[in-house]
Amino acid sequence: MGKANHHIYRPISRREMLGICKSGFGSLAFLSLFGSMPQSKAGEFKRLMQPIRHHIPKVKHVIFLYMDGGVSQVDSFDPKPRLDQENGEDPNKKFKVDDTQFGNVGKILKSPWKFRQYGECGMPVSELFPHIGSCADDIALIRSMVSDFPEHTNANYFLHTGSGIQGRPSMGAWVTYGLGSENQNLPGYVVLDGGLVPPGGLDNFNSGFLPASYQASILKASASPLANIQPQEESQALQDQKLALISRMDKSLIGNLGHADAVESAISNYELAYRMQSSVPELTEFSRESKETQKLYGLMSDDPYTRNYGAQCLLARRLVERGVRFIELTCPKVKADRWDQHSGLKDGHERNAHAVDQPIAGLIKDLKRRGLLDETLVVWTGEFGRTPFAQGTDGRDHNPSAFSMWMAGGGIKGGTIYGHTDEYGYRVVENKTTIHDIHATMLHLLGVDHERLTFHFGGRDVRLTDVHGHIIEGILT
Amino acid sequence: MKMSRIKVISIFLAFLMGSLSMNRCTESEDPSMPETVDFNFHIRPVLVKNCYLCHGPDPSSRKSELRLDTFEGATGTGESGLAAIVPGRPGKSEVIRRIMHHNPDEVMPPPESKLTLSEREKRLIEKWIDDGAVWKPHWSFISLVEPTVPETSGTKQINNEIDAFVLKKIKENGLEPVGTAGKKTLIRRLSYLLTGLPPKVEEVKRFVADNTPDAYEKLVDYYLSSPHFGEHWARHWMDIVRYAETKGHEFDYQITGAWRYRDYLIRALNSDVPYDQLVREHLAGDLLTNPRWNKETGINESVLGTAFFALGEGTHSPVDIRKDEADRIDNMIDVTSKAFQALTVSCSRCHDHKFDPIPTADYYAMYGVMESSRFSPRMANLTFQQTEDIREFQKTKEYIRKKLAANWIGKETDHTVKTPATGQITAHHHGEKSQVLGDFRGSGLDGWKSDGLAFGNHSALGEPIFDQKGEKITGLSEGKASSLILGAGIPGALRSPDFVIDHDFIGIRALGKNGTIRIIIDNFQLIQDPIYGALMKEVNSDTWHNYKIDVSKWKGRKAYVEILPGVFKKHEYNLPEGAFIEAAYVLVFDGAWREIPEPGEPEVPSLSGAIAGWAANKGSTEQIRLINQKITQGTLDARLPGIKELFTKREALEKSFEGAAYFIGMTDGFGINSPVFIRGSHQHVSEHRIPRAFLSALTFGDTAFQSPGSGREELTEAILNPKNPLTSRVMVNRIWHHLFGRGIVETVDNFGLQGKIPTHPALLDYLAIKFQRERWSIKNMIKYIVMSRTFQRRVVGDDDLQKKDPQNLWLAHYPIRRLQAESIRDAILAISGNLDPRMYGEPVPIHLTDFMTGPGRPAESGPPDGHGRRSIYIAVRRNFLSPMMLAFDRPIPFSTFGKRNVTNVPAQSLFLMNDPFVMQEAGSMAAEVVEQDLGFEERIQWIYMRALSRPASEKEVMHARNFVNQQAASYKISPDKALKEIKVWNDYCHAIFNLKEFIYLI
Repeated sequence: MGKANHHIYRPISRREMLGICKSGFGSLAFLSLFGSMPQSKAGEFKRLMQPIRHHIPKVKHVIFLYMDGGVSQVDSFDPKPRLDQENGEDPNKKFKVDDTQFGNVGKILKSPWKFRQYGECGMPVSELFPHIGSCADDIALIRSMVSDFPEHTNANYFLHTGSGIQGRPSMGAWVTYGLGSENQNLPGYVVLDGGLVPPGGLDNFNSGFLPASYQASILKASASPLANIQPQEESQALQDQKLALISRMDKSLIGNLGHADAVESAISNYELAYRMQSSVPELTEFSRESKETQKLYGLMSDDPYTRNYGAQCLLARRLVERGVRFIELTCPKVKADRWDQHSGLKDGHERNAHAVDQPIAGLIKDLKRRGLLDETLVVWTGEFGRTPFAQGTDGRDHNPSAFSMWMAGGGIKGGTIYGHTDEYGYRVVENKTTIHDIHATMLHLLGVDHERLTFHFGGRDVRLTDVHGHIIEGILT
Repeated sequence: MKMSRIKVISIFLAFLMGSLSMNRCTESEDPSMPETVDFNFHIRPVLVKNCYLCHGPDPSSRKSELRLDTFEGATGTGESGLAAIVPGRPGKSEVIRRIMHHNPDEVMPPPESKLTLSEREKRLIEKWIDDGAVWKPHWSFISLVEPTVPETSGTKQINNEIDAFVLKKIKENGLEPVGTAGKKTLIRRLSYLLTGLPPKVEEVKRFVADNTPDAYEKLVDYYLSSPHFGEHWARHWMDIVRYAETKGHEFDYQITGAWRYRDYLIRALNSDVPYDQLVREHLAGDLLTNPRWNKETGINESVLGTAFFALGEGTHSPVDIRKDEADRIDNMIDVTSKAFQALTVSCSRCHDHKFDPIPTADYYAMYGVMESSRFSPRMANLTFQQTEDIREFQKTKEYIRKKLAANWIGKETDHTVKTPATGQITAHHHGEKSQVLGDFRGSGLDGWKSDGLAFGNHSALGEPIFDQKGEKITGLSEGKASSLILGAGIPGALRSPDFVIDHDFIGIRALGKNGTIRIIIDNFQLIQDPIYGALMKEVNSDTWHNYKIDVSKWKGRKAYVEILPGVFKKHEYNLPEGAFIEAAYVLVFDGAWREIPEPGEPEVPSLSGAIAGWAANKGSTEQIRLINQKITQGTLDARLPGIKELFTKREALEKSFEGAAYFIGMTDGFGINSPVFIRGSHQHVSEHRIPRAFLSALTFGDTAFQSPGSGREELTEAILNPKNPLTSRVMVNRIWHHLFGRGIVETVDNFGLQGKIPTHPALLDYLAIKFQRERWSIKNMIKYIVMSRTFQRRVVGDDDLQKKDPQNLWLAHYPIRRLQAESIRDAILAISGNLDPRMYGEPVPIHLTDFMTGPGRPAESGPPDGHGRRSIYIAVRRNFLSPMMLAFDRPIPFSTFGKRNVTNVPAQSLFLMNDPFVMQEAGSMAAEVVEQDLGFEERIQWIYMRALSRPASEKEVMHARNFVNQQAASYKISPDKALKEIKVWNDYCHAIFNLKEFIYLI
C-alpha cells in the first residue's frame, strides 16, 4: 500500500487485535482517537477486521467545496447558445416544464455572462469564474448531474448523506468511519464554517447512526476556531496543574479497579483534547504564510467575502498538510442570498462568484505547487442546478434535472468534460450522473469500495450509496 | 492458509461479540458440540448471516428457487431435484455437500459473497440434520412459555428468581460471581439509574446508617417514588419515539405542544400507568371510550399519547407531496414497529424483508392504517369536569326543547301530524361542472367527520338562538355546520371524507371569526407559500361568504377538506377567544361558482308536525322556518324561566375553554387500504389494495381490520393480544437494558432474525410473563430487577473474568457504565447547588453558541445554564440540537434509538475542561465551599461527599492540598489566604467535575 499507509486504520493483525483486548491502559488510546473506535464495540472490531483499503487509493484527502443554494449551470460551466436565440420566448412551447418549487415560470432567459475557452483543453467557462477557468486543465467537469430533490433541504441531505431524509450519516462521517484521520491531534472530518449553514442545519454534517466520533468538527477561520478549544484558566500553568491532578486521581482509580477499558480510553481522550488546545489554534496562524501565498488566496482582496473564503481555502490546505481526511467548506454570507437566485440572478451570482472564484483557484494552484493536489480530491458542487427559463423575470428556479459540478486532484483526468444536457441545459441527455455516483467515485479514489463500506443499522447493512452508485470512469485517469 | 486465518478471525470475533454458539476462543481447541443443536440458537444465526440474502424470504433476490427460511423450502426438492436438507440424512442433504465442497464453483456460500462458514458451523449444521433437522419459528415469534426456575438449593446468592437464572449461566460458563457492592456504590447506582441524579448527601448518610435488613428496599422505594424518576425514565422513552419539538428541515417549525407529550410521559411514569395502557394511549388514545382522567388535574391524559405520531420531521414545501406522505408514513411505521415490537417493518417498504417474515404486503397493510389517520390539533387539557358541564348543558338544552314544544303543542290548531322530512341528502350531482362535497343545510353533517367538541354530531338546524341577555330564544338556527353548538372558542374540526380532486376549484360557503379552512392533499399539513399557501383560508366574515380555492394543480390527488375554529400561525395552532366557524355547503366546480339548491324535498309543513319534529330533534328546514315565523309573529312564545340558566351555562362553558392548550395528535379519518408501492415507488403502485391488518407472521394478526376508521384500535388490540409474543418481551428487555447497560437481547430495537439472540432466554420469558401478570407495572418490574443480587454486584476489573467474559454477558459482576448525557449535566447542576427542581412546562430555549447558525435559528439564545432546569426541559430543536448532548451520545431524533452509543470523543473532554458552563457551576460550588466555616480537610470531605457520595482518602486529601497550594502560588496568593480564595476552590471543584469517577458509575 506504499506511502498511503501512514494512517491509523490499516487492517490490523490478529496479534494486534489480541493485544488490544488483552492489555490494559494505553492500548485503547489507540482506538480512542478522532473518528476512531468508541470503546470496545464488537461491530467496530468487525469492521476493523475487514481490509479498510479495498484497493490502492489515489487520494488521501477530500476538500468539498459546497456551493450552497445551487449554481446555475447555464451561467457557469454549460453554455447554451440556444438561450440567446430564444430569449424571452415561452418555455412551455419548447419543452415540457416540470413543477418547480415556486411555480412562477417565466420566459426563456439567456445568460447574462459570456463564456470563453480556457486552457489547452479549451473548456468553456463563464465570466463568473475567470480564476477557476485558469485551472481548467486540472478540472474534470461533469455537466450531466441530476438530483432526486427540487427542495434545498432534501437535496442538501441527499448530497451530504446519500438520503433525502434527516439524520443519516454524512459522507465525511462515512469517510472517517472508513479511514480515520492521519493526524492524532486533529479531527478527521472538519467543516469550515464560512458563515452559511445550509438549509437542514448541522445535520448535514452529522454522524447519523454512526457513533458520534464520526461527526464533523465545525471550525471557523478565527482565533477560536473550535467550540471549547480555549482554556478558561488565566494561565496555562493553572490548567496544567489542574489536568495533572485529574490525571493522578484517574490513574489511582484505575489502580483500584484493576482493569477498565472504558475509563482508560476516557483518560487518553483528555490527553488528546489537551494536545488539540494547541494544535487547533495553530491552524489559523496565517501570518506564517508568505505574502505571496496570502495574495494567491485572495486574502488581500478588497472584497471582505473573498478574504473570508480565501482564509477558509488556506485553512483547508493547512488541514490537508496535517493529514485531515475530509474537509468541507460552506459559503460566505455575501450581500445577497446564497447561490439561490430566485430573482436578481446577475447581482447575486456575481457576488457569490466573486467571493469564491479567486480563493478556489488559489487553493488548486497552491496544492499543486506543493505536490498535495495528487493526494487530494477537490470537489465543487451545489445541491442542484437552476432552470434555463426565468422565475419571474430575472431569477431562476431550482432544477434537479441537470447541473454541473467538477472535481480536480489525484486520479482525476484534468481537462475532461463529461456528459451532456439538452440544448437548453434543462435535462441531461448523456451520461446521467447521480449523487450516489459522486459518492461512489469519491470513496473509490480514497481506496474504498462503496459497496463494502457498511454499518449495520435498523436491520440491515447500510451504505453511503444505499443500493446505488457507479464509479464515473470517464473522469478518472 | 488464507482459509485458516479467516477461521481464526471469525472464531475470535465470535468470542469478542459473545456469539452464543461459541465460548471457545482458540484455534487449537476442538470446539465441542452442544448436546442438542438448537435451531434458533445454533443454526438460524448461521443461515441468516450466510444464506438468507439469496435464499431467504425475499423472492426478488432469491437464487435457484431455493429458500432456507422455511422448513418446506429447505426440505423440498429444488430445481436440481435434490433436497437441500433431508432430515436425519446429512449424507443425502445437498446443503452438506455444498458447504463442504472444495471446488469454488460448487461451494456455498460462493466465494464472491466473501462469506465463509467455520468448521464448527459446518459441523453444527451436519449434526443438526443428523439429529432430525428440527425446525422452529424464530425465537421471538414463539409464544411465551413459563420457564422453570433453576434449582438453587445450597447457595446464598439468591435474592429472587433473576439470580437463579443468572447464576445458572454463570456456572455454565465456568465463572464465579463477585460479591455485593458497598452501600455508597449502591446508593449512587440506584439514584442515578432511577432518577438520573446523584444521591443527596443526607440520603447517603441515612442509608449508610440504616442497618435494618430492608434498608436497601426502602431506598429503592424512595427513589421509585421520587418525582425525578419520571423525568429520567421519560427521557429513555423519548429516544424511542424520536422526540423533538420542531420539525427540522429548512425552517425548523415548531411542533405545536410537543412538550406536553413530554410532560405526559413524566406524569405517566411517576404514577406508574400500566404499560399496556401507555401502548393503548400512544396508538389510539384519541379513540378510547374510557380515557384516563388525571386524578389531580382531571385532564384527559390518554389523548396526549398520540402526539408521538407527530414528532417526526416535516418537509418545507415539498414539490412532490405524495412522496412526502410516503416518507412521513414510513417514519411512523418505522418508529411504531420498532418501539412496540422491536421489528424493522420499514425494511419491507421496497421488497419483502430480506431476513424477517415480513412481506411487503404487511408494510402496506400498516401503511393503510397510518394513511387513514389524520393529524389534528387536539386539546391537551380537556377536563372531566368540562365534559360533565357539556353533558349538563346538553341536558338543559334538551329540557328546554321538550318543555317549549310541550307549551306550544296545545297552542296551535292543526292537529294533523305529517311525518317530518328527515333532512337526508341524497342527490349530490348537479351536472358535470360541479358536485357537492357536503351540504349542512339539512339536519346532518352529510357524512363528514366531526372531531372534538365544536361541531357536535349534527348540524345546527333547530338549535336555539338567544337574545343578547340570554333571557329568551329569538328563534331557531337554520341548517349549517357550526362550531357554536356549545359556544364560541370551543375546539374541534369538521372534515370531509377523502375524495379525488377532479375539478379546478373547491368552494366553501362559510362565515366566522378566526376560523380556518384547509384543503389537505395527501395528508400534507405544512401548508404555505410558495406552492401551497392558497390551500388554506382564514375565515373572518360575519356574513355568508363564498371561499374559492384553486386546486387545479392537484387534479387526481387524494384530499379532504378541513373546517375548524382557530388559526395556524407558522404552523402553530391556536384558538383565540371567541373564535368560531360555520359552513353551509362545500362544493367542487369548474369555471364559475354555482349556487346549490337546498337539500330536501319542498314541502308545506304543518305547525304541529313542525313542533313534533323539532321536539324529536328531527325537524326539517321548512319546519324550522315555520316555527321561526310563528315565533316572530308572536304566535309561539319562546320564553321560559330555564333559558337564562341555559345561557349562563353556555357562558361558563365558553369561559372554561379560555385556558385551553393544544398539541398535534391524531384523529381518525376514513379507512383507506393502500396499494403496494412497487419497489417503494409511489409512482408505480399495484392494482389490488392491501387490507389494513397487523403482521401476518403473528398468527392472530392476519385478519383484515374491519373498522370504518383507521384501524388503530385493532392495531392496538393486536399488539396487546395476550398471544403476542413480542410486546412484553420487548418492554422488559428495554427496562433491563437501562438497568444493566445491555439488554438480555442486546439489539433492543430489533428482535428480528438479524437481531442478537437473548443471552438469558428463559429469564426473558420469566420476566415478560411476570410483567403481564403484575398489570404491566413498570415500577414493579424495575423494583424486581434492582432487588436482585445480580444488580447489586460489585464492579470489578478482574483479569480472569475479563478474559473469560470480556463483554460481561453473564453478569458475574456489574458493568462499569458512563452516565448518560443528561445525567452528566444534571449532576453538575445538582452538585453545584444550582439545580432548579421545578417540573414540567414550556421548554427552556436552547443556548445558541456561535457555531449554531442556519435558517430557523431562534432570534434569541437561551441561557447557558438552562436556568438550572433539568436537561429534559431544555428545548429540543431539530436543527439546533445541544452540542453537549450530541457529544455525549444523545441520539439525533429521526428514528427509534432504544440503545445509545457510548463513545469517547475529545468534544466530551473539551466540554468538561473548557466550557464556560462547567467552569461557572464549579464557581457556584466554590462559593458555597468558601462561605463555610470549615477546615481544609473538612472542605475536601464536604466536596467528596457531595460530588462522589464518599469520603476522600488520606491520599486524596493530600493531593488536594498540594493542588490548592500550587494554584494559590500561581495566583500569587499566600497559602493561609487560599482557604478563603474562591478562585482556588473554583479550580478544585472544576477538577472534580473532570474526574472519571464523576461521569462513570463504578
